Amino acid sequence: MVVLKYLFNVLVFPGLLFSALVGLLLSGLDRKVVARMQKRIGPPIIQPIYDFFKLLGKETIVPRAASRRTFLYAPVIGLLALVTVTLFIPIYKYTAISTVADIIVILYLLTIPAVALIMGGAASGSPYAGVGISREMVAIISYELPLVIVLLTIGKHVGMALNKGVITFSLSQIVSYQAEFGPMITNWRLIPAALALLLIIPIKVGSLPFDIAEAEIEICEGPLVEYSGAPLAIFKLNHAIKMFIMTSLFVTLFLSGKGTGILILDIVLQVLLSAVIVVISISTLKAITARLKVEQVLKFFWTYPTALALISLILVWIGR
Amino acid sequence: MFKKLIEKSFEKSPWLFHLNTGSCNGCDIEIVSVITPRYDAERMGFKLTGSPRHADIILVTGPITSQSRDRLIRTLAQVPDPKVVVSIGSCPRSTNVFNGSYSVEGPLDKYVPIDVSIAGCPPKPEAIIDGLAKAIEILREKRRAMK
Amino acid sequence: MQHFPILSIVTLFLGAFLTVIFGSKNETVRKFIALVASSISLILVLMLIKPVMIKNNVIQYWLGNWRPIHDWAIGIGLEVDALGLFFGIIAVLTIFLSIIFSFKYTKKDSETDKYYVLFLMLSGAVLGLVFTGDLFNMFVMIEIMTFAAVGLTAFRNYQEGALEAAFKYLVLGSIGSSMVLAGTITIYSQVHTLNMAQISALLFNNLTPSALFAFALLLAGFSLKAFVVPFHPAAPDAYMSAPSSVSMAFSGMVNKAGVYAIIRLVYVLFHAMDFKSVQILLIIIGTITMFIGVTMALAQNDFKRLLAFHSISQIGYVITAVGVSTALGLTAGLYHALNHTLFKGLLFLTAGAIFYATGTTDLNKLGGLARKMPQTAAIFLIGAFSISGLPPFNGFVSKWLVYQATFQANLAPVTIIALLVSVMTLASFIKVAQSIFFGQMPKEFENVKEVPLSMRIPMWIMAILCVITGVLPNIVTKYLVSPAVTAALNIGKYIDLMMGNGYSEKILGKPIEIPAVDFTLAGYWDPIAWLVLFALLLIAVTIVAVAGGFNAVSLPTEVDDPKYDVFFSGEASEHSHVKGNDLFWGLKHDLRHYFGFMHDAHSGIINDYALWAIFTTTIFIVYIFLLVP
Repeated sequence: MVVLKYLFNVLVFPGLLFSALVGLLLSGLDRKVVARMQKRIGPPIIQPIYDFFKLLGKETIVPRAASRRTFLYAPVIGLLALVTVTLFIPIYKYTAISTVADIIVILYLLTIPAVALIMGGAASGSPYAGVGISREMVAIISYELPLVIVLLTIGKHVGMALNKGVITFSLSQIVSYQAEFGPMITNWRLIPAALALLLIIPIKVGSLPFDIAEAEIEICEGPLVEYSGAPLAIFKLNHAIKMFIMTSLFVTLFLSGKGTGILILDIVLQVLLSAVIVVISISTLKAITARLKVEQVLKFFWTYPTALALISLILVWIGR
Repeated sequence: MFKKLIEKSFEKSPWLFHLNTGSCNGCDIEIVSVITPRYDAERMGFKLTGSPRHADIILVTGPITSQSRDRLIRTLAQVPDPKVVVSIGSCPRSTNVFNGSYSVEGPLDKYVPIDVSIAGCPPKPEAIIDGLAKAIEILREKRRAMK
Repeated sequence: MQHFPILSIVTLFLGAFLTVIFGSKNETVRKFIALVASSISLILVLMLIKPVMIKNNVIQYWLGNWRPIHDWAIGIGLEVDALGLFFGIIAVLTIFLSIIFSFKYTKKDSETDKYYVLFLMLSGAVLGLVFTGDLFNMFVMIEIMTFAAVGLTAFRNYQEGALEAAFKYLVLGSIGSSMVLAGTITIYSQVHTLNMAQISALLFNNLTPSALFAFALLLAGFSLKAFVVPFHPAAPDAYMSAPSSVSMAFSGMVNKAGVYAIIRLVYVLFHAMDFKSVQILLIIIGTITMFIGVTMALAQNDFKRLLAFHSISQIGYVITAVGVSTALGLTAGLYHALNHTLFKGLLFLTAGAIFYATGTTDLNKLGGLARKMPQTAAIFLIGAFSISGLPPFNGFVSKWLVYQATFQANLAPVTIIALLVSVMTLASFIKVAQSIFFGQMPKEFENVKEVPLSMRIPMWIMAILCVITGVLPNIVTKYLVSPAVTAALNIGKYIDLMMGNGYSEKILGKPIEIPAVDFTLAGYWDPIAWLVLFALLLIAVTIVAVAGGFNAVSLPTEVDDPKYDVFFSGEASEHSHVKGNDLFWGLKHDLRHYFGFMHDAHSGIINDYALWAIFTTTIFIVYIFLLVP
């Protein structure tokens, strides 16, 4: 019975099927919103689903220079890590794996898809992919610093309220704090951190203006250049799930709370709020900006979002 | 069930790869105009990709110059099946005004079979979209034939 | 039982002497001697786990039966408590695996009898250092260790830079040794004994200026042996030019010996961790060490040199965690020390395998070897993910503990730096992966073959240990790390054995309770998590199977078909490999001033480095005099 429950959790909700569906729809929404902002009609919202299935139907070519196993398994490993993360993120009071939820685990698990992308790209043997993985790694270094500070800030804030000042890294505790004291965003000390996280989401999901790694015009989509067919489909799926996870994480960290008490409504609320975050943080930036240069990305993330996050950390540290 | 879904998806999400084989840039600009807000080919799922490995439809512009011939053949070979080759403008079809030049080795169908040929110098965006719609049908037929 | 520690040390030294006598002619004999000596000592030390780690005894042995008279220790004593044994286990494991690896690895070298002699001397010295209960004996062992290490560094003296590296190591090592000697003498002049348990008892609440001076000197000397920044510059050269099996021993046990000595010094000898200022000193040098180590590693273009800087950086983690001085912090530090031995040994062995197969470890010359050496590549990836701290490998657990410990101690900047360093570690291993194992292969490596089985076995053992210590942290903590932490924090037993029962409780007070470390939040404790993992693997297999069913995976045929060439904007496929030097341009550009400064600072001139060492020692002395009461 327990086995079945966890299989259900992994495969259907909130694991593979649910997060894939929501993620694909969210990225469809993103494309639609960007199109509308540019006065275009835009693709249907289910367009990413079509893309996914079309790629499944294409031939998969493994280049001669590639290390075959790494090349084919890299996307699957990324998907595995992402599905694991979806189990850890609470949807209001519901978590698939109840007490096991830790910010640092999620931080590292979220690195795995990026590493999988890098390894897959490196294994393909293409020089474009080589440049792409170099840029992807620079992107990771850029966003990791502010992201870490944001997460520690929230941990410290919740720890000070609930744990007598001892830091908590537990996401479920963060949710229960918000159920007690209202959403985190209502606390003025944490607003800079929220802004920083809003800036981090686009680079984490690799969208404009921070998509230096997959710049399709300069370096032919970087690490993905040699991928075709099913592995590419899984990478696109990873992309979509990552979008859902990052926005959902934002919702859990800043907009969570008591919820409605009914699971279905909670899920709907979470997805709707995630969609709002997608529009605010991903689509808007994508529609109004052009791609940054590589060194500008690092400089940007190590100054503005880091400074915002640090302000929050200091405010939380000195004040109750 | 999946088979039908995939066939449907092939209709809905054809990705383009643009291959310039010595074009005068007229056709290239018309291709770009197809994805502008006025025509917005993205509403039908068209998307320009950066790599031939991702593409379903290859748009070839220009008469095949001797410099670009080998590169054309290589790039076309690297596109995964099923794929559709669309020639845009008169150049790849007949080498147009460049016919007889020492550096032109066209037309395109000497090297690969063309599935859809869009005439014009340059063709109107409407014509390109019409041609792409035909290309989608051929793409679906090719997918059916694959199984 | 009583005799196990001394036997395990003597076997190794005896092996060295026997190799000189019988092994100088015959290759098989010397290999046999080395294997037997190392495995006997491995077995003896592992048999100590039960009495020391689980039953929590301290084993004592007086050399030549010179027992203490009237509570004054005259003879040399071995005292093995859980802390010493923890590092002893690390050492014997490294010795054993390194010796197996070097059988085939040193095939092309001449005069391997000297190699085995020196290596066994080095091993015996390290083991003696961690088991000894006598401060002067510790100095002697450090001397043997240093000189054996210098000899081994220069073993491949036909290689460019080997002699230079040995010279640097010699000079800096001698500086360190003389500091240790000076410190030892100063202590002896005050307390008139060299037994560490007795020193610890006598120095408690009795830190006279001369004791403080000795503390500073010893700290500097041991830091030099652990290659803490700014004492580090000998390390990269030595690690790079020594044979890989020796580099593995250097990073696996020689600098661990330094870490052990630091822990023994600050926790046991001087009870210095009660002072906030000493904690801060250790945390500062630890943090600086990990940051400078990793940024220097990012800029390297040689695999082994890069690994050497990572060794420095990871030692920084250990020192920082040790400096936090809570039970959690010490657990984190010791766990990371164990993990560092495993994954860094593994990585040095892969470097050795690469060198064996291709004859170079230059990142700018290699490429695409994963197709020729798939097992080495897989092992390398395990090691790289472990050191970068990706779950479920072991680096994740110990780094997680480090973050937890530092943040709980209100050291947010340290936590942030530690996390950033972890990402940069990942970056530099991505660089290695791209430039050695992936990407395109230069023509001259067409005929490269996978390394022989006897070299792969130690690598696989370490890789499996990396995974085991990663997924079963509860068991590792319970049976290995926690006893060592208890031994470091409660030195009562250690002193009682020397001074008589009940002595330590009179002076030191009741033993401290060591709280159990809870891995709940790391997500590993739950069998259900395993189930989830299993289900996830099931999906993975299904996905691969189903995706394979949708379409035919087209594998490259031998025919020269452009379809399987790498997309090159239509150009003919030619060799174009993105090398280590070309990576991370944005990062290098943004931090160019910093990298330039570090480049200038590492001038390669031994005078500069000696100056750094002396200067830092002076700072230690001043700091300790000013801030430690």
